[in-house]
This record gives sequence, C-alpha cells and structure tokens, in this order.
Amino acid sequence: MTQTRTSDRSPLAKQRKYRRLMFSILLGGVAIALLLREVLGYPLVSEAVYWVAVVGFFAVLYGSSVTLFDERDKALEERASRWTLTLLAPILAITASVGRLLPRVSDYALPEAVWPVLYGFIGVYVLFAVVYGVLRVRS
Amino acid sequence: MKNEIRARRDAEGISQADLAAAVGVTRQTINAIERERYDPSIELAFKLADHFDCRIEDLFDPELNGVGEGG
Repeated sequence: MTQTRTSDRSPLAKQRKYRRLMFSILLGGVAIALLLREVLGYPLVSEAVYWVAVVGFFAVLYGSSVTLFDERDKALEERASRWTLTLLAPILAITASVGRLLPRVSDYALPEAVWPVLYGFIGVYVLFAVVYGVLRVRS
Repeated sequence: MKNEIRARRDAEGISQADLAAAVGVTRQTINAIERERYDPSIELAFKLADHFDCRIEDLFDPELNGVGEGG
C-alpha cells in the first residue's frame, strides 16, 4: 500500500483563494458598475468597469494554476441545468396558456412585459434543442 | 455507491484534505464520495485506486452495490 502523506495543503488553499477572488471580482465589479451608472451618473465608465469585472472573472477561472472546479462541481452544474429546464417548462406552458385565455374569458390580461420574457424562455429551449442535437450527432 | 474510501483513508491516517490534494479534487468531493452521495468518474476512481495502490473494485465493490449481479 502506498503510504502517501500529502501534508502540503497549498493547492486547496489556493483553490479557495482563487474561487473567492473570482467571485469577488465579478460581484464587486458589478456593484461598482451599478453605483457608477445609477448613482454617480457615469454610464460609460460603468460599462468599462463591468467588462473589466467580466474579463477578470474569466482570467482567474482559466488563468489560475489550480483546478477551481472539479468533476463534482461539473456534475452539480449539469443537475442544476437539468432541474432549471425541467422547472421552467411547466411555468412557460402554463403562463403562455393563461396569457392567451385570460383576455378571452375575462377583463384581465397579462402585462405586456410578460410576453418578451416568455419568448426569451422559448429561445432558451430552442437553443438547448440545437445544442443537444449537435452533441448527439457528434457523440 | 458503497465504497471503502474512508476505511482506507483512516488506515493511512490522512485527512480528507490530504487525499483531495493527492488526487486533485476538492475536500468536499472526497467527503461526498465517502458519504455515498457522489459517485466518482472512472478517471477519479482510477486516481483513488492508484493512490491506495489497489484495484478499483477493491474500493468500489460491484457486488456490494448490486452491480453485475446477473439475472
């Protein structure tokens, strides 16, 4: 039996540090960008800060020397994606049906802002179908 | 999936963090495997077997888990 003792915990400490750094850059950047745009009135500077945060997030994600997310994280992401799509489907179907029926059976109607959101959801499912098809053909 | 990761780790006297660092995953992943809440990929199973210098089926017993029980 291999009696390997890996007392050097620096990879795990680095992992934690870079993960915190990654999300701090993104959330901090978005918060500062919001402050600049909504409170201080600097929309262009705000946009620049926003993109710096986005680029910084991916720079840490792909540029760090340690693996920030392992296979379990990816498995959890896949499960979360599947659950999200599964939960959204009935919401989309029911809301669309209610939206079509309401004006015909009552004086009420869904707010106009709801329809672009529903079309956005439909777009997500169309994109999913395309990606699924491509992956299926290639596998 | 039932496994002997914890027993072997205890026998070696190493922590979950040590084992995680040795096979390149997070401590939480080792914890989830030991609690049978996550089944590792074949690649990680090979790394664990390599670390403990044993076969995969010594760590993850197919018959123990009902896998391979023919009809």
